[in-house]
Amino acid sequence: MSRNRQLFLLITVVLAFVLQISVLPQFKILGVQPDLILVVAVVVAVQDGPVAGAVVGFFGGMLQDIASPQLMGVGMLTKTVTAFLAGMLKDFFMTYTILLPVILVFLASIFEQSFHQVTLSVLGQENMPPFRIGVLFASTLYNILCVFIVYPVMRRFRFPEKEDSLALKRGVAR
Amino acid sequence: MPRTPRTNRNRLILILLIVVCITVLTLYVRESDSGPLHKIQNFFLDLVSPISSAFTKIFRPIKDGFVNLWHLPSLSKDKAELQKEVANLRRQSIESKELESQVEDLRNLLQFSEENVQYEYVGVDVIGQSPDNWQRLMIINKGSSSGVKKYMSVVTDEGLVGRVISVGSRTSVIELITDSRSAIGARDQRSRELGIVEGGNEEIIRYTPMNEEADIKVGDIIETSGLGGTCPPGIAIGRVSEVTKRSGGLTRYIKVKPYARFSKIDKALVIVMPEPESVILREGQ
Repeated sequence: MSRNRQLFLLITVVLAFVLQISVLPQFKILGVQPDLILVVAVVVAVQDGPVAGAVVGFFGGMLQDIASPQLMGVGMLTKTVTAFLAGMLKDFFMTYTILLPVILVFLASIFEQSFHQVTLSVLGQENMPPFRIGVLFASTLYNILCVFIVYPVMRRFRFPEKEDSLALKRGVAR
Repeated sequence: MPRTPRTNRNRLILILLIVVCITVLTLYVRESDSGPLHKIQNFFLDLVSPISSAFTKIFRPIKDGFVNLWHLPSLSKDKAELQKEVANLRRQSIESKELESQVEDLRNLLQFSEENVQYEYVGVDVIGQSPDNWQRLMIINKGSSSGVKKYMSVVTDEGLVGRVISVGSRTSVIELITDSRSAIGARDQRSRELGIVEGGNEEIIRYTPMNEEADIKVGDIIETSGLGGTCPPGIAIGRVSEVTKRSGGLTRYIKVKPYARFSKIDKALVIVMPEPESVILREGQ
């Protein structure tokens, strides 16, 4: 991975973190907000592979853990593992459209939240929030909505030459 | 799948990251609240809180806008319900004020009746006024079925209002002291000079003492004398507002401002007295 790409990922993670703590809490729907860091980590895993996704998940989770009053390390662990698995899973799908990150974010969201709750249970946290299926699916749907913004934007910034060639092909086809 | 150096490197990185995560988690759980990881977390929380708070302030109008848009379909329904509620509350407020006013009137009348226990009273509501400008009459909601009889006096806590001139079974007509046909025996409370109070279809009534030389001054209280038998003695009528000499200086014109505010009377008391003999005699003649 080139230095520019590493810098781009760093900026992306920090930006996702800033949006996560500032803007997204203002747009809660039915009391839930999307997990933008997870979405970014999964999208990176789709575009760059499982290790890149895991690193993004690790740093994003670390920022989230540090800046929130929760058990430090849980977010890091769950996001790292989830993004890595998402990166591994992408090879099992035969599609390279936006459907791929959508499916992976759907699976990753359910897995990450369940993993998060299981980890807290194992650690015996007394003030653990109750696990609710409604919240799980609402946040999963919200994360999927975010994919439709995050994936094209990251694709545009990371692979401008692909976008240009695609546009060129579309123009020829017409 | 054959293991390549790249695959091994990936696994190594993943294992390393997981080990770091578990180490941080273990250290965090095991350390006290004043441990280094807690301190780092608290420092960043303090750093992030103002940013979060600032964004909350910035985005609140936008958020409120979305919330309002979301609730737009139900707004017209809510508005109709609120308008209905406002109308109900307004009506209740008016009724409440009306009741307060009635309670105040009744309290004053009760006080008057307690101060004048020598008489019996019938409480009445004013239900109508004279239909033309030539008479000063009031219609009350009690008649002979309630014990109201002709020539009985009608008072409020402020003073004399008039007397009953016509009695039906459920209603009666009162001739106010300002009516031009009204003439009631009166006296000056200070000098005890007797006279007659007469109406003139105006707000001011006229007091004519029997003695032309009587000592009457502005500010004197005029009350009923009880003579004639139509009115009990000692009920306040009004206060002398003006004493003027007529042309030639032979007679005086004494204006009295009645205590009763006729335009505001809702409730009154009819003083139950035995039928006046003098009037019966006059009518019998």
